[in-house]
Amino acid sequence: MRHTVRKLSATAVAVFYGLWSVVAAHGYAFNEIVPDVRQPAGVSGGSACPIPSHQLVTTNGIAVQWSTVIGTNPKTIFTTNQTPAGALNEIEAVIQQSESVWSGVASTSLAPGTFAPLTRVSTANICGADGLNSICFDQPDMGFTPGVLAFTRVITADAINIQLGNAVSTEVGQILDADIYFNPSDANVTFATPSALSGNPKSYDMESLMIHEFGHLLGFSHSAVWSAIMFPFAAAPGTFSGLRPTTQQPDAPLADDDRAGLRTLYTDLNDTTYIGSIGGRVIPANPLSLPTSPAGVTGIFGAHVVAVDVASGNVIGTLGGWSCAAPGPTQFDGSYVIQHLAVGHSYAVYAEALDGVVTPSTVSTALTTLCRNANTDPGWPSSQACVVPSPDLQFSTRAQPAP
Amino acid sequence: MSFAQRRRVTLVTFLIGVCLSAVVAHATTLTRLQFYQLVQHSSAIGRVRCVRADTRLENREIWTDTVFEVVQRDNGFLPSPIVVRVPGGKFQHLTSHFDGVPEFRPGEEVYLFLAGQPGRQFYIVGWTQGTFRIRKDARTGLETVSQDSAEVPVFDPETRTFTKSGIRNLSMDRFLDRLEKELHRQSL
Repeated sequence: MRHTVRKLSATAVAVFYGLWSVVAAHGYAFNEIVPDVRQPAGVSGGSACPIPSHQLVTTNGIAVQWSTVIGTNPKTIFTTNQTPAGALNEIEAVIQQSESVWSGVASTSLAPGTFAPLTRVSTANICGADGLNSICFDQPDMGFTPGVLAFTRVITADAINIQLGNAVSTEVGQILDADIYFNPSDANVTFATPSALSGNPKSYDMESLMIHEFGHLLGFSHSAVWSAIMFPFAAAPGTFSGLRPTTQQPDAPLADDDRAGLRTLYTDLNDTTYIGSIGGRVIPANPLSLPTSPAGVTGIFGAHVVAVDVASGNVIGTLGGWSCAAPGPTQFDGSYVIQHLAVGHSYAVYAEALDGVVTPSTVSTALTTLCRNANTDPGWPSSQACVVPSPDLQFSTRAQPAP
Repeated sequence: MSFAQRRRVTLVTFLIGVCLSAVVAHATTLTRLQFYQLVQHSSAIGRVRCVRADTRLENREIWTDTVFEVVQRDNGFLPSPIVVRVPGGKFQHLTSHFDGVPEFRPGEEVYLFLAGQPGRQFYIVGWTQGTFRIRKDARTGLETVSQDSAEVPVFDPETRTFTKSGIRNLSMDRFLDRLEKELHRQSL
């Protein structure tokens, strides 16, 4: 395999602190939704700028039910307590712990009381597009193929007053339904609660998977930082991701990449600690290398930008290349921003463009859903329409320290 | 900054950069499948060209059915055209999202490792793990193949090392040779 290593594409990377006045590409890969501006502004918000999918944050605002029907033939979940009631309690403790891990992150609006008490449902197959957040351990789904341990299906509204079951959106980008499925149908896949893991070394740690899936339920996509809980591959059987949560550190399994993402998605407006931002633009040394179609591309699209904490080595990443100011549409100007960093820390910032086989279709909806137009949505106003460009693969870059 | 320093920064940048594309290339919580396992779990393998995608609501879920024209069949019964079903899609005002499920554009050619039966929908084994993108060099005309789930190494901030697995930028000839050998091995 041959790889062409390009020179550092830090050209015109500006480093500064403070929040941006416009939405720019931000890291931690959220699911982005472009509001349906064909609807009245009172319904769509009037702007075609992408909005990250998110849950409504109110006291007891995120309700989750789980099916107590678990696979018994073959047995797919191992617990320390072998009694039926004890096993269910142990599983429920894992779910509660997973909620606590995310709500235990300091300086976010996702307070512990945001999650309503869990509801048990004794029937199977409760997962579906019904406006209820559900967890299923024994519901077969055509989405399961070999290699898929668990997944979360998230349904987001692109306008307000959209109804799904009994759920009605009051915000654009609101998640109306998120269901977590654990694979019940693969004879080679079993799960174990933390206390049962050591006795079942061939099982996957249910808590690690559950925390990861709750990240999706909250609106996260995936991270490529190895230590992040949102890394897409499970820890090996018999092991778990990161550290176990403790009273002193309830969010212990998470990495800084996860925490920064949560602070961005669920911002605490009173926070005074994690208010640093690093942002700028990545542009090619040769402007003529930018694509001519679609029109209006003025920076590198799809650049990978990461901030590495110089002291700790912790990494927080982003996929950059765009910005958007109301009423939109998205501008492909090479912008990026990494938000909610701890102030007073030094970060090294690096950037690299997508360099080969990667195309918009492979780089998640974080990029492919940034635009809507008359082709994708009949009747879409041209003034707020855009087309997501292909990443520019043919440019060369050079290093240039920030001013 | 000296030349050596610039080179070092360049390399680190590149590695960190490419690691990040893994952010977007993987599906949801997965277990790694080796190449022989992909072959083992597949009822059909072939090179296909995306024709169109339709989204539908069925059994309380939103699905995307992608129609592919079969360009080359390497294993199993694969009558063209085929329909490959993946979960998720956009339906009216609702977007159903499964993180990392592969998406395809009309005209795009890929190698897919499929499970399912002809006449019904196929499924991609391991989602992104069973999806191999084909890229043609505009200058040389040579084709390379990369697995969606293995395009790049991943950065480990604790050890500051990089790892990678899977198939990336493999020439088409070598990919087909490897596939043929594995199919032959499993047929014995």
